[in-house]
Amino acid sequence: MKTHAFTLLIAVTAAIPLAGQTPKPATLLNVSYDPTRELYEDFNQQFSAYWKGKTGQEVKIRQSHGGSGKQARSVIDGLQADVVTLALAYDIDQIAEKGGTLPADWQKRLPNNSSPYTSTIVLLVRKGNPKGIRDWGDLANPGVAVITPNPKTSGGARWNYLAAWGWALRQPGGSEASAMEFVRKLYKNVPVLDAGARGATTTFVERGIGDVLIAWENEALLAIKELGPGKFDLVAPSISILAEPPVAVVDKVAGKKGTREVAQAYLEYLYTPAGQEIAARHFYRPRSAAVAEKYAAQFPKITLVTVDEVFGGWAKAHTTHFADGALFDRIYQPGR
Amino acid sequence: MIAVRWISSLALLRVVVVPLQATAQQASSSPTGSVSLEAQVNELDQQIRILQRLRELAADSAAAAAKEKVTPTASAKDGFSLKSADGKYLLRFRGYFQSDGRLFPGTELTGGIDNLLIRRARPIVEATVGRYFDFRLMPDFGGTTPAIFDAYWDGKFAPQFTVRAGKFKPPLGLERLQSATDISFAERGLPTNLVPSRDIGLQLAGDFSEGVFAYQLGIFNGVPDLANGGDDLSNAKDFAARVFVQPFKRGSLQGLGFGLAGSTGFERGSPAATGLPTYRTPGQQSLFRYTSSTTTPANNVFANGERTRLSPQGYFYTGALGLLGEYVVSRNEVTQAGLSAKLEHAAWQAIGSFFLTGEKAGFRSPTPKRPFDLKEGGFGALELVGRYGELSLDPAAFPVYASASSSAQKAKAWGVGVNWHFTRAVKFAVNYEHTTFTGGAAAGDREPENAVITRFQTSF
Repeated sequence: MKTHAFTLLIAVTAAIPLAGQTPKPATLLNVSYDPTRELYEDFNQQFSAYWKGKTGQEVKIRQSHGGSGKQARSVIDGLQADVVTLALAYDIDQIAEKGGTLPADWQKRLPNNSSPYTSTIVLLVRKGNPKGIRDWGDLANPGVAVITPNPKTSGGARWNYLAAWGWALRQPGGSEASAMEFVRKLYKNVPVLDAGARGATTTFVERGIGDVLIAWENEALLAIKELGPGKFDLVAPSISILAEPPVAVVDKVAGKKGTREVAQAYLEYLYTPAGQEIAARHFYRPRSAAVAEKYAAQFPKITLVTVDEVFGGWAKAHTTHFADGALFDRIYQPGR
Repeated sequence: MIAVRWISSLALLRVVVVPLQATAQQASSSPTGSVSLEAQVNELDQQIRILQRLRELAADSAAAAAKEKVTPTASAKDGFSLKSADGKYLLRFRGYFQSDGRLFPGTELTGGIDNLLIRRARPIVEATVGRYFDFRLMPDFGGTTPAIFDAYWDGKFAPQFTVRAGKFKPPLGLERLQSATDISFAERGLPTNLVPSRDIGLQLAGDFSEGVFAYQLGIFNGVPDLANGGDDLSNAKDFAARVFVQPFKRGSLQGLGFGLAGSTGFERGSPAATGLPTYRTPGQQSLFRYTSSTTTPANNVFANGERTRLSPQGYFYTGALGLLGEYVVSRNEVTQAGLSAKLEHAAWQAIGSFFLTGEKAGFRSPTPKRPFDLKEGGFGALELVGRYGELSLDPAAFPVYASASSSAQKAKAWGVGVNWHFTRAVKFAVNYEHTTFTGGAAAGDREPENAVITRFQTSF
């Protein structure tokens, strides 16, 4: 009895100073891909306020942006990301496989394959569309300069490449051979191959190079709205690809830093109505039907195919198209 | 870079525009011609923009590659190294090699044999891992048995606070703390007999005001004087501390430094593992040893109680002149067959050095002003050195704990020498050491020792 009383006394004594304490401030590092800068600047601010209100804890979120594949390699090499919000699931799979910092089934931990918003690939042309570009097929025409980043380093560029390939397959008489020939011609028209999607946008919008930019829909809409009002038109191709940029907590880092709870809440907040609103404001297609309906006017209607149905999933797409010595290396050889 | 870009753009425009002027004159006569001209200008404008962008991207790639670039270096000062672009990771291979000759002219009875030997052969691997941590490993293959001398890591958190753990020099003797490649004579002087060579422990250290005040504070296994420590003999540990001040670090007396070092601890040896040292002459011959016997080991003297050391020390370097002095007292409680005594041994020395070739003397060897080079006429640096020192053994050690007929009660040594620093990496030294003894022989004093020591040293 004496022992129990003593234990209780210690527990109560220990609890008294804890009761009034505010939690220690937390810092998260979100390692993301190129075009999400503005989205997460906005989102981070709102999430910090939300989290402070909910738990009393201050949370500071740092952002790192670059080509999706490059960012994944940095995390594998030790960049201490609490969360990753990359362009494609394959890059997070690589972190799971080579870095061992999150489980292989990471994609099942959040709704919609851990993809809180989607996007697609569109074509951005100069005002008035002087080269008359209407669909993917026009990009292979002689004299058309196409701007797209390098699929070896950019997740967005892989979506671009696959979207073009998918369109070619679905043309009358389309086959793997005709798709390859089409994509080869398209890349012959690429004068500058940037490392990331944001770099490609800079090339097209700020440097004034090229006739058409193959771009994330959000990046194209942002360019029209902010970077060059009245200078660009968006061309919605007949077919494009459903891009599902995924997000995940990097368990080992978050566990080590003690940020597991706030990192999880950070990603879950993307799925809330508030998070979905922010995504839509930054031209990402929201998963929420209600928010999607509200913003329906800003997104063109495009027939979307998925990587799974056309390419058998990201792993297969990578091996077939983007691995060293695979199709892209055969299609695109600098200087030729 | 911008200028270069503009110049290349202008050059390109010149190439483009001059022919266009001619074309324009022809084209202006027809509407279709002017459309064609505009298309050409647009085309050329695009080409220029593309070239400029490609150069931008190439510059970005080069900058990114530079950030990840590993730099290999090779120098006499820092050895061979591989360094990451951010400087946080470094792997360095260094080492030194000393090949000696020892002659004992006119020392027939107690001097050593004339011989050539590899005194030290020490490869050194050093690594910096991350922002704060360094590692060093230095074995020695120069003796009869290879041994590890340094094996430690440093946590360098701030100049005022660093942590060292592993095997290294305890912070005691001044000449001992000087690198074996930088000491004035081939062998350290008599006071070094009374301090340990290496010990295993944990040390906090730091300096303030860029070295004006420095401190070291450590806990060690505790080893006998002159010993290169390994396993401990008992649970007791030694504590060592040293403070060193260079009060005029920024003034004309910047080469003046002095300090005080000391250690205290307990040692519990046994007749089988005595925990006691043997002291040596500058010619590396035994001059004092505690009583021991292989036939009746139970009568061996062994450490059994408190062990303390104290060492005031200092140096002064000005121009080509260097002076270094230290005093060490070492107290050991010893036991033999039920008898115990607290013995106190003391030693001191003063060393002077002078660079005839004008190099600036210092605690570390300087780089010759004109390194040895037959083609360029460089001679290297020439340094004259001299020293005097004494070692006094406690009279109470005799005859119970040490034999008066084989161990000296006192040694006085003077020496002179010349060091020829061919380059920073290569040195040739020749020393003459004369040591006289009180006691140490069956009848009276041991025969004086004359030692001529030559050394060829390479270090990198």
